[in-house]
Amino acid sequence: MATLTETRKPALRRELEAIVGTSGVLSEPDELLVYESDGLTLFRALADFIVFPTSAEQVAAVVRLANREGIPFVARGAGTGLAGGCLPTEGGLVISMMRMNRVLEVDYDNQIAVVEPGLVNLHLSWAVGPRGFYYAPDPSSQQACTIGGNIATNSGGPHTLKYGVTVNHVLGLEVVMPDGEIVWLGGKTRDALGYDLPGVFVGSEGTFGIATKIVVRILKKPQAVKTVLAVFERIEQASVAVSAIIARGLVPAAVEMIDQLTIQAVEDAFGCGYPRDAAAALLIELDGLVVGMDTQAERIVAACREAGAREVRTAADETQRQLLWKGRKSAFGAYGRVSPAYMVMDGVIPRTRLPYVIGRVNEIVAAHGLRVGNVFHAGDGNLHPNILYDPRKPGEEARVMAAGAEIMKVCAEVGGSISGEHGIGIEKADFMPFIFSAADLALMQRLKDAFNPRGLCNPGKVFPTRKSCVEIGPVAYRPHAIETQGLAQRF
Amino acid sequence: MSLLDKLRAVVGQAHVLTGVELSRYVIEGRTPEAAVLPGSVDEVAAIVAHAMETGVPIVPWGGGSAIGVGAPPARAGLVLVLTRLDALVEHEPGDLTATAQAGITIAALQAALRARGQWLSLDPSDAARATLGGVLAANASGPRRHLYGTARDLLIGVTVVTADGAVVHGGGKVVKNVAGYDLPKLFVGSFGTLGVIVEATVKLRPLPDAERLVAVRFERLQDAGVALRNLLGSDLIPNAVDLLDGPSAGALGLPAAPATLAVGFDGLGEQVDWQVAELATVVVRCGGAKPAPLAAETWARLASASRDAFDTPAAVMTLSVLPAVVAETMEHGAQTARKRGLMSAWCAHAGVGHLTATLCADAPRPDPAPIAAVLEEWRAAARAGGGHASVTWAPLPVKSALPVWDEAGAAGRLMKRIKAQLDPNNLLNPGRFVGGV
Ligand SMILES: Cc1cc2nc3c(=O)[nH]c(=O)nc-3n(C[C@H](O)[C@H](O)[C@H](O)COP(=O)(O)OP(=O)(O)OC[C@H]3O[C@@H](n4cnc5c(N)ncnc54)[C@H](O)[C@@H]3O)c2cc1C
Repeated sequence: MATLTETRKPALRRELEAIVGTSGVLSEPDELLVYESDGLTLFRALADFIVFPTSAEQVAAVVRLANREGIPFVARGAGTGLAGGCLPTEGGLVISMMRMNRVLEVDYDNQIAVVEPGLVNLHLSWAVGPRGFYYAPDPSSQQACTIGGNIATNSGGPHTLKYGVTVNHVLGLEVVMPDGEIVWLGGKTRDALGYDLPGVFVGSEGTFGIATKIVVRILKKPQAVKTVLAVFERIEQASVAVSAIIARGLVPAAVEMIDQLTIQAVEDAFGCGYPRDAAAALLIELDGLVVGMDTQAERIVAACREAGAREVRTAADETQRQLLWKGRKSAFGAYGRVSPAYMVMDGVIPRTRLPYVIGRVNEIVAAHGLRVGNVFHAGDGNLHPNILYDPRKPGEEARVMAAGAEIMKVCAEVGGSISGEHGIGIEKADFMPFIFSAADLALMQRLKDAFNPRGLCNPGKVFPTRKSCVEIGPVAYRPHAIETQGLAQRF
Repeated sequence: MSLLDKLRAVVGQAHVLTGVELSRYVIEGRTPEAAVLPGSVDEVAAIVAHAMETGVPIVPWGGGSAIGVGAPPARAGLVLVLTRLDALVEHEPGDLTATAQAGITIAALQAALRARGQWLSLDPSDAARATLGGVLAANASGPRRHLYGTARDLLIGVTVVTADGAVVHGGGKVVKNVAGYDLPKLFVGSFGTLGVIVEATVKLRPLPDAERLVAVRFERLQDAGVALRNLLGSDLIPNAVDLLDGPSAGALGLPAAPATLAVGFDGLGEQVDWQVAELATVVVRCGGAKPAPLAAETWARLASASRDAFDTPAAVMTLSVLPAVVAETMEHGAQTARKRGLMSAWCAHAGVGHLTATLCADAPRPDPAPIAAVLEEWRAAARAGGGHASVTWAPLPVKSALPVWDEAGAAGRLMKRIKAQLDPNNLLNPGRFVGGV
């Protein structure tokens, strides 16, 4: 890969400016620093330029220029990713999508919207909300993260249990391919012609090209919502209840678990009404028709009681419901009170293995002399152990990393996965062999070569690593800007 | 050793068919060189490796129910029949997932799942014959896709034998997973051109307490179109919204009204009751009759209603359009056929814009020219609305008169690159798919 010499940079800057305008290029060291990491501040890498295109044609021109020069480039949305996916690990260009943030078209009859990739996730729901619609995938970072970042990581959220993840809502994409050609994958109709290229592009973590327009489905808001809190004396009971609910033929919109450490932190901080002495609580949400809502809620209550819940209560009104969700959603802010830093893991396991795996997670973290708070998408089996630590204490960060790797191994052993929604990026690239054989990875590499033969588009990601100039640690953890502003928490 | 001898050594004499035994495996008039029926994944891998060494193309074969889809093969080569790989490998109800081998029929799989209160929410026609692997490879679906989506939404893990004879896994067995590229998506709808699917893990759903299918008749197609739009914009949550024209309704034994909406609901008994009542108020306002219950057997016949309208169809086309234009696409499409002296029958999973149209000529050996001309006009109409259309069944003279698959443009070039990466010698179902892959 060509490295840019200092003498080459001014000429390149002029060429970039000719494409995106003088205000669309950053190259001063202090400006570049802002883009050196994403939500996972453990990793850092500096770009040579940050460029801000406003159209697909500009993106294509920038990409063609990068190809001519043989320098790498990577798309960046809001930079809330939690795997280092948008880092310029080998320098070159960061192509920010933040100036391409419009809702281009909403077709209510066909329940689709065409948006630009820099659009913030929640802004789409705002745009279609007045007509009774919403965009279903709801990552906790939805006040800041972009639809482009969502499609690259195939984001999920609490309501993914019933409504599916990002890929289930994407019909088509306009993509600037790694060689600069503009191509439509899929379109507005439900079925794509030929191979499912939109399906393959979603979740490719920015390595298959840069999405410049996205066709997504929008859904009608449900008639009714009901939220239930089930409280348990033992965490295994809560884990058993998750499978019991499913086995009773119910698919709630969300089933989230919160453990004792988290409950206590949340109660200390915000007082959301979770019982402090509980070992775990399940936050369960049903949505759909008004008719039948009570019957379903009764079944949920029965399943929880049978699993040993000591208390099951239903939110009486919207205020109570919001308070319960606040408890779930403000867990991050609350961890801040009990620990200077934490690292969030993102493993997935078959739901029935929850009791075993939660036990193992707690053991592993304790064995490394650390504490862990669990708050996660239990209905999907998507774990988020948050390992608490103090980055100023020498060696603690290394123990966090070691514990994290062991947790990933446990997820793999029970037939699970090393990432449910945050992606592989740089962070988990070396864990890929936990769940994939050399042949599996070779096939993925061939698929990548079909899209990105020169490897200039977001190098150093997804696959077990080659040499790169990423920096790790020492004082790694810093809260992401959207966390410090209280806009989101990291799960 | 000849290829046949090698194959016999792998699977045993009894599982290599040649000569007259091949009559069931003729593809578009071409008899394959042999058919081989492996009994394990390793045997599949060995067969593929041997075929690749000798340069003999492979046609993966499930139940054969969609084998006629696509361009005719240049050479039939070796038919790889997967029906002996028919085990349900794992079903854990608490996980709502199941893993099965590719050759299990959809009917057998559903029966096993149903016994434990669950189902795979995919309902392609011909379930007794269609295999899981074949349904995934052909991306077949049925009326309930309206609510539950298609194979891409349900397949979470896949094991394939690739062109080099390697056994490769993609995805996993958990319902949420973003580790690595989404290989299951790549193999859904790939028609055997990228690898042989040997095992699949799917998401399941609990069986609903109740389910009901009702029919609403309209005197005019365009009224049904308005009703469809109002239904989709309402609070109702149907699990199927199909639209049938007169001939298709007739094929189901219903009165051949100009338009019939077949609408399904599932859930708790009280939810189904309420929704059927509410549906009545939505449709009556647009000129629809009162919803009439349909027999449960009708579900399985909805997707093939237009084909079943004629004893000797001349061609079948599948069109993807926006839901809002389904009714007018049907109306204009039927006129187009009539103008050329042909009959047509139309049915659609209307809520998702998926239409099937069947042409029929009143002659034993119809002239392919007008048939191809109608198909081209249908395709142009679908394309004008941002959609696409492909011929899913036709006799050879018709298939040689127009491209079977629609034109995929720049995306088609990317498909070719993917094909070249995964099957560099072009031996997996060569030449049968979109863009000649
Ligand atoms: C507090 C917090 C909470 C979170 N909660 C969740 C959650 O609940 N669920 C969840 O899934 N994730 C969650 N995340 C992770 C993160 O928000 C998601 O991964 C999100 O999708 C990233 O979007 P972004 O715009 O910030 O993308 P970035 O971080 O900017 O980029 C992410 C990846 O997308 C690529 N990319 C960006 N734009 C494009 C484009 N236009 N075309 C191609 N590739 C592109 C980048 O190259 C990179 O690989 C959370 C993060 C934080 C900080």
